[in-house]
Amino acid sequence: METTLDLSRCLEKPRGVAYRRWVITSTGLRQLLATRFFRLLLTLAWTAGVGMAACGLVFSQSVATGGWLERAATAFGPRAEALASAFGGLVLLYPDVCVTGLFTVVFWLQSFLGLWLCLVALTVLVPRLVTRDRASNALIIYLARPLTSVDYLVGKLGIVAGLLGLLWTGPLLFGWALSMLFAPNSDFLVYSISPLLRALLFNGVSLVVLAAVALGASALTRSSRITILLWISLWIIAGTLAGGSRSPEWLRRVSFTYNLHALRAHTLRLDTTLINAAEQLPLLSATLAAKLKSEGAKAAPTSLPGTLASLAGFVALSSVVFLRKLRPE
Amino acid sequence: MPPRREEGDFVIAAHQLTKLYGRHRALDDVTLQVPPGTIGLLGPNGAGKSTFIKCLLNLETPTSGSAQVLGCDIRESNRGAREKVGYSPEQDSHIPGMAGCEYVTYCGQLSGLSFRQARQRAHEILDLVGMGQERYRQIDTYSTGMKQRAKLAQALVHDPKILFLDEPTNGLDPSGREYFLRLIGSLHRQLGTSVVISSHLLNDIERICDRVIIIARGRVLEHDSMENLKTRHRRIVEFAPSGEADRVAAALTAGGHAFQRLSNGRFRIEERSDSIEWLLELLREHRLPPGEIVANPNALHELFLRSLASADGNHA
Repeated sequence: METTLDLSRCLEKPRGVAYRRWVITSTGLRQLLATRFFRLLLTLAWTAGVGMAACGLVFSQSVATGGWLERAATAFGPRAEALASAFGGLVLLYPDVCVTGLFTVVFWLQSFLGLWLCLVALTVLVPRLVTRDRASNALIIYLARPLTSVDYLVGKLGIVAGLLGLLWTGPLLFGWALSMLFAPNSDFLVYSISPLLRALLFNGVSLVVLAAVALGASALTRSSRITILLWISLWIIAGTLAGGSRSPEWLRRVSFTYNLHALRAHTLRLDTTLINAAEQLPLLSATLAAKLKSEGAKAAPTSLPGTLASLAGFVALSSVVFLRKLRPE
Repeated sequence: MPPRREEGDFVIAAHQLTKLYGRHRALDDVTLQVPPGTIGLLGPNGAGKSTFIKCLLNLETPTSGSAQVLGCDIRESNRGAREKVGYSPEQDSHIPGMAGCEYVTYCGQLSGLSFRQARQRAHEILDLVGMGQERYRQIDTYSTGMKQRAKLAQALVHDPKILFLDEPTNGLDPSGREYFLRLIGSLHRQLGTSVVISSHLLNDIERICDRVIIIARGRVLEHDSMENLKTRHRRIVEFAPSGEADRVAAALTAGGHAFQRLSNGRFRIEERSDSIEWLLELLREHRLPPGEIVANPNALHELFLRSLASADGNHA
C-alpha cells in the first residue's frame, strides 16, 4: 500500500544566502504594500517629494536669466525689473547662502514629514517584524532552514530599510533629482550637494536607530497589541515628556525621537544657514536679519556627545533584546 | 519512477552528543550512526526526542559532542548542514497573513529555490498532501489537520534528502492519518528521502519504519532495524478460536504450552519458535475449529516498555 509520488525534482543549485535574505525583505514589504493604510502614507510621502521638486523648480526658474520672474517683472515697470534682477544677482553672488539655504530648509521640512510618516508606518509594521513570528512559532520554520538568526535579522532589517526608502529617502532623492533636472546652471547642483549629503546622513542614522528600536520592541513580546503599545509609549509618551521645556536632561535622553530631533539639528545645521543668510545677504532689512538670527539661535543644536550616546544606548539595548529573543521556543 | 539518489553511508552520525539544561541532562552522551531509511524515534514524554532533533538542526546548541547530518558537521557548516533537510515541528508553526500555497512557496524560496520552481513545487506538494482549494485560504483559518498538511508540505517543498517529522499525525482524522502514513512510508522507497519520525504511536512506527531508535532519559536505549528488534522479542502468538475455547485450553495444556486467556477470549501463547506450524499441527491433531492467529502482536510495544523498564532500573 503505497502512495505514488508524482513529483518534479529540484535539480537547480539552491540560491545563496543573499537571495534568501532578500526573500524575507521583499515578502515583508509586499505584505505591507497590500495594506490600504500604508498605501495612503506612501501617497503622502511621494506627494511631498513632488512638492519638493516643485519648490526647487519654482526657485530655479525664478532666478534664471529669462525665467518667469524676470519676464513677469517687465510687466510691472523698471522698479520691479530691477528687483527681479537683484534677486537673480543675489543667487549668482551668494549661491552658497541662497541655494544651500533653500535646500537645507526644504530638506529640514521633508525630514520632519519623512520621520513622522516612518514612525506612523512602523506602528503598523512593528508587530509584523518579530512579534507575530514568535507568537505563531514561525521562527522555527525560518531557523530550521539554511538561515541563521543573523540572516533572519538582516531580512527583517531590510523591511525597515525598505520602508524608510519608500517613505523618506525615495521622495527626498526624487524631489532633489527632479529639481536638478530643470536647474538653470550647475551652481544648483554644486551647492545643493552638501545639504543633500547631510540629509542622507541623518536619514542613515535614523534608519539604524529606528530599525534597532523597532526590532527590539517587536522581539520583546509575543502579543501584537502589547508591541504596538510599547512602540507608542517609546515614541509618543517618552517624546512628549522629553519635549517639555522644563524636562531634565536625563528625561530627554530616554526618548529616541527627541534625540533624533537633536541629531537633525546637528546634521542639517539650519541655525548656521539662517545666521549666514542674516549676516551675508545685503538686501535683507535689519529687522528681518535680526529675526533670522534669533530663529537661527533657537535652532542651535544641544550637546552632540549626549545625543549620540543616548542613540547608541538605544541601539545597543535593542540589539541585546532581539539577539536574546531570537531563539526557537 | 524518479531516479533514486546516491546514498551516503549514514544520514545521521552523532558522537557523545550531550545537551544540558542547567543540571538536567536532556541528551546524555548520545552516540549512534543511522543509515538511510525510514527511522522511528520512540520515547516517552521528556525523553529527549525533540531535543535530539533540534540539536541535529542546530536549533539547540549541544553542550558537548559532535554530530553530522548528511555528512555535514552541524556546528562547522551551520547553513550547509540544513541545506537538504526538511523539518516539521510538533507545534503549530506558520507564518501569519499568508495563504497556504503562498506559505509553502515562501518556505521553498527560503531554502534557496527560485520563485518559479518554489511555486511549482508548492502546488505539487500540496496536491500530494491532499490539500485542495483550501490552499488559497489564509493559513490562520485552517483546522489542525490542514495545518499538519501545510507543515508537511513546507518540509518537503525544497526536495530534502532527510526529513524530520515530530508527531506528524497529531490532529489528523483516521483517513487523513492513514493517507499520511502511506505517504511518509513511500518517501524513502520512491524518492530516496530518509525520514526520521518521532511519535508516541508505536503502531504507526511499526507499520512504516524500517529502523527504530528508542530514547529515554536522554540516552539511546535501542537502535536497530525493525527486523532485528522483532527477532529479539519474546515469541508470542495470539489465537482467537472460532469456538470450543475450553477444548483449545485443554489441548494447549496437554501439549505443555504456557498460555494466558485474555479478557477478549483470545489465547496468548509464548513459544520459542517464530513459526506457527506447531499451533496448526495442534489444531489438526485435536480436530479443533480454526481461528485467527496473530504472530508477535505488539512486539514493538513490548520491547519499548522493556527498554524503559531497564532504563529505569539502571537509573535507580
